[in-house]
Amino acid sequence: MGWGIRAVQCAAVLACSLTAGAEGRAQTLTMGVGAPVTSIDPHYHQLSPNIAVGHMIFDGLTSTDGNARVIPDLAESWQAIDETTWEFRLRRGVRFHNGSEFTAEDVAFTFQRVPNVPNSPSSYGIYTRPIRQVEIVDSHTLRLKTATPYPLMPTDLANVMILDRETHANATTEGFNAGPMAVGTGPFRMVSHRNGDRIEFERNDAYWGQKPHWQRVNYRMITNDAARTAALLAGDVDFIDQVPTSDLAKLRADQRLALSEITGLRLIYLSFDHSRTEASPFVTDNDGRPIPQNPLKDARVRRALSLAIDRGAIVERIMEGAAIPAGQFLPEGAFGSVPGLAAPRADAEGARKLLAEAGFPQGFRITLHGPNDRYPNDSRIIQAVGQMWTRIGVRTQVEAQPWTTFVARAGRQELSSFLIGWGTSSGEASNPLRNLTASFDRDKGYGASNRGRYSNPEVDRVLDAAMRELDDAKREALLQQATRIVFEDVGILPLHIQKNTWAMRRGFAHDARADELTRAQDVRPAGGGATR
Amino acid sequence: MSSTTAGAPPAAAAARVETPFRRFVSEFAESRLALLGLVVFAIIALVAILAPWIAPQNPYDLAQLDIMDGRLEPGSVGGSGITHWLGTDDQGRDMLSGIIYGLRISLTVGAGSAILACLVGASLGMLAAYAGGRTDSLIMRLVDLQLSFPAILAALMILAFLGKGILNVVIALVVVEWAYYARTVRGTALVERRREYIEAAQCLALPTHRIIFRHLLPNCLPPLIVVGTMQIARAIALEATLSFLGLGVPITEPSLGLLIANGYEYMLSGKYWISFYPGIALLVTIVSINLVGDQLRDVLNPRLKK
Repeated sequence: MGWGIRAVQCAAVLACSLTAGAEGRAQTLTMGVGAPVTSIDPHYHQLSPNIAVGHMIFDGLTSTDGNARVIPDLAESWQAIDETTWEFRLRRGVRFHNGSEFTAEDVAFTFQRVPNVPNSPSSYGIYTRPIRQVEIVDSHTLRLKTATPYPLMPTDLANVMILDRETHANATTEGFNAGPMAVGTGPFRMVSHRNGDRIEFERNDAYWGQKPHWQRVNYRMITNDAARTAALLAGDVDFIDQVPTSDLAKLRADQRLALSEITGLRLIYLSFDHSRTEASPFVTDNDGRPIPQNPLKDARVRRALSLAIDRGAIVERIMEGAAIPAGQFLPEGAFGSVPGLAAPRADAEGARKLLAEAGFPQGFRITLHGPNDRYPNDSRIIQAVGQMWTRIGVRTQVEAQPWTTFVARAGRQELSSFLIGWGTSSGEASNPLRNLTASFDRDKGYGASNRGRYSNPEVDRVLDAAMRELDDAKREALLQQATRIVFEDVGILPLHIQKNTWAMRRGFAHDARADELTRAQDVRPAGGGATR
Repeated sequence: MSSTTAGAPPAAAAARVETPFRRFVSEFAESRLALLGLVVFAIIALVAILAPWIAPQNPYDLAQLDIMDGRLEPGSVGGSGITHWLGTDDQGRDMLSGIIYGLRISLTVGAGSAILACLVGASLGMLAAYAGGRTDSLIMRLVDLQLSFPAILAALMILAFLGKGILNVVIALVVVEWAYYARTVRGTALVERRREYIEAAQCLALPTHRIIFRHLLPNCLPPLIVVGTMQIARAIALEATLSFLGLGVPITEPSLGLLIANGYEYMLSGKYWISFYPGIALLVTIVSINLVGDQLRDVLNPRLKK
């Protein structure tokens, strides 16, 4: 062995490590996300950041694309073989991160675990509840029996991440958070997790689908809006989500940055007190005396309040264009949205006329409540609505409170009118219809977030028919009919649908998702192929 | 100035000099800076009092605001024809009007809470000094407890409990500030009550309340005035902080702190004026009060006499 060979060896090692270093940098993605992940256990807490991280580590039987349409995931195909049976054919050759093979047994195990996670703050059990019986036909075919026809099965199952029967037999939520149990079939493995601070991932090179571009991903939680923007500008992170609207103009103008946006599924709306026919607590006449009959029960008054609002001005001036004016639950094109049901044009004159017809030519006084820390610009929006209502003679006081205080009061029907939002995770209209405008019914699980207690038997009847209809086209027509009734009646008053915005350094590209999820597999180098 | 007798106790000096007020005025006017502070403060107070007549817009009347006028640059003309010399905020509120009305809230809250805290604190301090013994210990331990707590934290806790609103802000400020007055008054009163004139009053068997209010209290006033002035400035700053954190006034009736909070999100976007001008107004107010307070302390403190 001479010096020569040594030198060559050294050079080779050096060269290797150098290229590896450059490669490593190029293949690392550092993301700054605005909402903290509360748990790695995919069945513990239904929360967008948790779901996003779940999508990186785990897979469901079905999934959704960027526009919230259902696509195959661990199930290659599915069909309803009779009124109450769904058959799923599973993908073959899929392995968990620890090498264990994915089979129908794992799915059955998962469905058992989902409703039984202890202390779950918001359980995923609602997605598995309709399943009465799981029948394993063979290792990769599964039949799910329901008591009544259940058309939403493939949609719902996109929320349920599949775990391994052997690995996760006695898995606890703490086990997931600590790391050892964070084993799935997804495109990334979790390397480390510091609660509320950061998660590190590395690519799952044995992933069955399109492999993500990034070898390593740093998922940092930066909850302060200004700090997150500053981290991107300083180059500490490559990519951020939840771009504050006040920074949009500046970031758009910055040559070093790129933005990606998509119309989301979160509706910001006003809810009214429908629960009282007698006086409503925050409505008075112009002298401050309670009005014996709740004016908000009168559809003409609600229509007047809707006509008073210039949604375009709110979107343009307050949301900085990061929203679209809304006339219904979902943006056009979504399943169950009504074609042509646009946001009403502002018409102060027409609004005053309607008020006069309803017996309030001089208007009345109202307090509009809302949160000040939940939705982008929430307290600014209610002030703007206050301006517009005051101008038609409904003198409005505005009260913004922290979310926890506010939502508790709204949930106890203590308020007369308030701003709140709803993210339709399923991307189809039955979800908001059941949750926001169906009559409150604890046993059916309907109207769970119907805090104004709107109740219209016609809506309930059409919705019930839709929920029994397995034929997609017929079901969509019924959902559209119910939606139309709700908004003609102004059961709730839609303001706008938020756009989801992400910002990244030049050289990165992102496939935006309507469901707000921020996932590393959706980010790729600009100019490269799609990664999904 | 010529009649100043060095080393004489203030009470005695005041009793000997023919026109103590004139002497006080001339001593105060020795500092040009303090005079300037007084003039500026007088102007600010006048502007605040006359707000409804001089502000171009009533910034608390939602019907007069239009979001289409939102975030206009200083000097632009809005849809209603008003020239916004200091620009507008995100709701289309004229910043000049917002600041004028905001000063009104700040001064009311500052002065109101200082006077109330002075009443509560001075009474308790006087009681502690005069009664002594267990009452004294109890009150002074309460004072210690209060002073060991960061004021902002205590105020936050009180507001979280009471809820928002101007009255609640005043209550919170009184609760966090009374201790300063109590300590000051007790210290002075302990010295004063051993003096001959109190002993004389006691020998005459005057009723206790008469001794306290007619003899002891007036002689404790000078340090109380100094603390009071400083505490007004402190109360204004504290109110601004609470409003900035979203716990003070209602969002449709912004004080200076809330105006600053409304604007600071737009700082990165270059819309400086929403935070900047209310900030300047707050700064000028507090500095002018402090200048006056500093000079008052110098004039009223015998140990600092030349």
